[in-house]
Amino acid sequence: MPAGGSSAAGQTTAGLPAIPEPGFAPGWTKAGPLRTFTGQDLFNQIDGGAELFLEFGFAKLRLQAYARGEAELTLNAYEMESAVSALGVYLMKMGRETPFPEIGARNSCEEIQLTILKGRYFIQVDNLGEVPAWTTEAVALANAFLAGVAEEKAVTPIGSLPAEGKLAGSERLIRGPYGLQPYFTFGEGDTLSLGGRTYGALAAYRMPGGASFTRLVVPYPDPEASAAALAHLKANLDPYIKVTADRPDGFDFVDFQAKKGTVVRSGAVLDIRFSITD
Amino acid sequence: MKNQRYRSMPPENAVGRRDFLKAGGAIGAGLVLTSRSLLVAQQTQDQQPPAKPAARPPKPKTNIEDALKVPKTKWSLPGPFPGRVIEVHDAAAMPDGQVNAAVVKEMVEKGITGLTGKSLKKSFGLFFTKKDIVGLKVNPVGPGLISTRLEVVDAVIDWLTSSGLPRKNIVIWDRFDYMLRDAGYTPERFPGIAIEGLQTMDEAAAEGKSTDNSKWLNADGTHVSVPNFDQKVFYWADVEGPKDLPYLNQHVFNGKHSYFGKLLTEKLTKIINLPVFKNTGNAISMATKNIGYGAVCNTNRLHAPLFLDVCVEVPAFWPVRDKMVLNITDGLRSQYDGGPDKNAKFAYIDNRLYFASDPFALDMVCHTRIVAKRKEMGVAVNENPRFTDYLRYAEKLGLGIADPAKIAHVKV
Repeated sequence: MPAGGSSAAGQTTAGLPAIPEPGFAPGWTKAGPLRTFTGQDLFNQIDGGAELFLEFGFAKLRLQAYARGEAELTLNAYEMESAVSALGVYLMKMGRETPFPEIGARNSCEEIQLTILKGRYFIQVDNLGEVPAWTTEAVALANAFLAGVAEEKAVTPIGSLPAEGKLAGSERLIRGPYGLQPYFTFGEGDTLSLGGRTYGALAAYRMPGGASFTRLVVPYPDPEASAAALAHLKANLDPYIKVTADRPDGFDFVDFQAKKGTVVRSGAVLDIRFSITD
Repeated sequence: MKNQRYRSMPPENAVGRRDFLKAGGAIGAGLVLTSRSLLVAQQTQDQQPPAKPAARPPKPKTNIEDALKVPKTKWSLPGPFPGRVIEVHDAAAMPDGQVNAAVVKEMVEKGITGLTGKSLKKSFGLFFTKKDIVGLKVNPVGPGLISTRLEVVDAVIDWLTSSGLPRKNIVIWDRFDYMLRDAGYTPERFPGIAIEGLQTMDEAAAEGKSTDNSKWLNADGTHVSVPNFDQKVFYWADVEGPKDLPYLNQHVFNGKHSYFGKLLTEKLTKIINLPVFKNTGNAISMATKNIGYGAVCNTNRLHAPLFLDVCVEVPAFWPVRDKMVLNITDGLRSQYDGGPDKNAKFAYIDNRLYFASDPFALDMVCHTRIVAKRKEMGVAVNENPRFTDYLRYAEKLGLGIADPAKIAHVKV
């Protein structure tokens, strides 16, 4: 059976979750062939949007459209290299998390697009046909696919972010410059030396006294790696950043908006705060 | 769950207020990074190989100097209205998520006359002659949600044809033929109008579903779309394209040259750029990206080292600089995050269209607006000037205006 073919158990012989047959709901047929993108080929599908997936560790996208009259549903099943990778993408894409309870996995959904996380899969179901499909049909398609997806535990550094003052729902994983881009620019390229391997955890904070900031905690494999990362960061700082105090274990700075920040190395960890407002 | 019928996207700003209040209400207290939590995190990543510090990537050289050597014409960017941007808003444009074509037509007419200060017919004469071959560069990515609305294109065609331009002189185009089809740009939908992709791509081969490359690869190892590109007119950057077949299938060439489509160098005499209001990462993917990455082949290699510079340097070459006379950014439905691909979580009905002959002033206005929208919605936004440095670079090259103090942003 070719990869992507279905079986009664919901798993293909190749170990991939089966792409659902049209029987997930009455009246549906497949609209076109299964489309598969691997590695850099993702640019074929989301040119300009593939970088984030690749940074988090993209393995394969399988895309299947279904039709019932003018209604159309499209399953986008992104297989990531690990459950952490999938979680990283999901956190970036979920927006304000608005789950549909009928979906058998963590999700954040609108009627015209379901966004789902399970195991190492990041899944979107588009409901963008000329005539909208019933929401129950979109959910049925999602659940039919999810039945074949194995649960996997994502071990992340998010737990190392202090709880006090943390804004709920603001947690993100960072694995390189694309993920960090909307938050802060420390410099050109991989200034934090994440190397596509090390995950950092980030969240927004608002303290009782009114101060707010964003905090990024990066646990490197060992103190030598964190020391090297700190040295690399100091040597490659963005020209818009001005260092106000330099120390062996870190530095203070102000950014282009005169907002303060700090970098502190403690053992294997870099603890960074930026966009500090009093 | 009951069978729910589709509900349209929320009206403009409705979600924004709700989200803003919810985000503001989630305030905790205190801040302690415990040694225990650090240890747990460290142990987690001890399983991985150590990260290697990355070298600072140098910016590759390009042939931008070649572009600047070509003398400008009366049509060259930034066109007759440098720094002038017209924003037209009409809440009736997309009631319940469905386009009201008549309202959109009125918005297009208001935008054009607002930009030029002249009647529609006289405005036509400012940009075109009746002998021009006019290319409409749409953005078909994200069909059904965030691609250029067909009704906006209809309104532009109405203006052109009612001013005397024959329908056969109009070409709707993009880089990829299949994306145009997917987004509804078909001969049946636009009778008498040419629909042209600069290139084809064999999707089955690209997806690894077929080992038969004969649909796109000639026996001599070249792409069948090679003749569609003008190898005398190119953007060169010191970055090699990957040498694998899937890349060649998608990009036609894989060296250091990005050739302009012959459609631009030989056929079109004018271009109207019709991008969509959306983001790409922390930057925007609007007027200058739609044309910068749409006019040439072999672009994927450019994303990492030269991403936003390409949005300036490709339009600096004469096939764009001297032909692209008008830009209309479709913000009827906009997207402030999750782009450039479609993402319904961040798409919203905004009922706006933006008009300019100067695409850089236009992008600066839209960048400012998307930053404000992201803040309103509680989405992280990085305001580091590097994300608009490319627009200032364009101003230095004399291609447009980026300084907000020099931009006349007029709301109609």
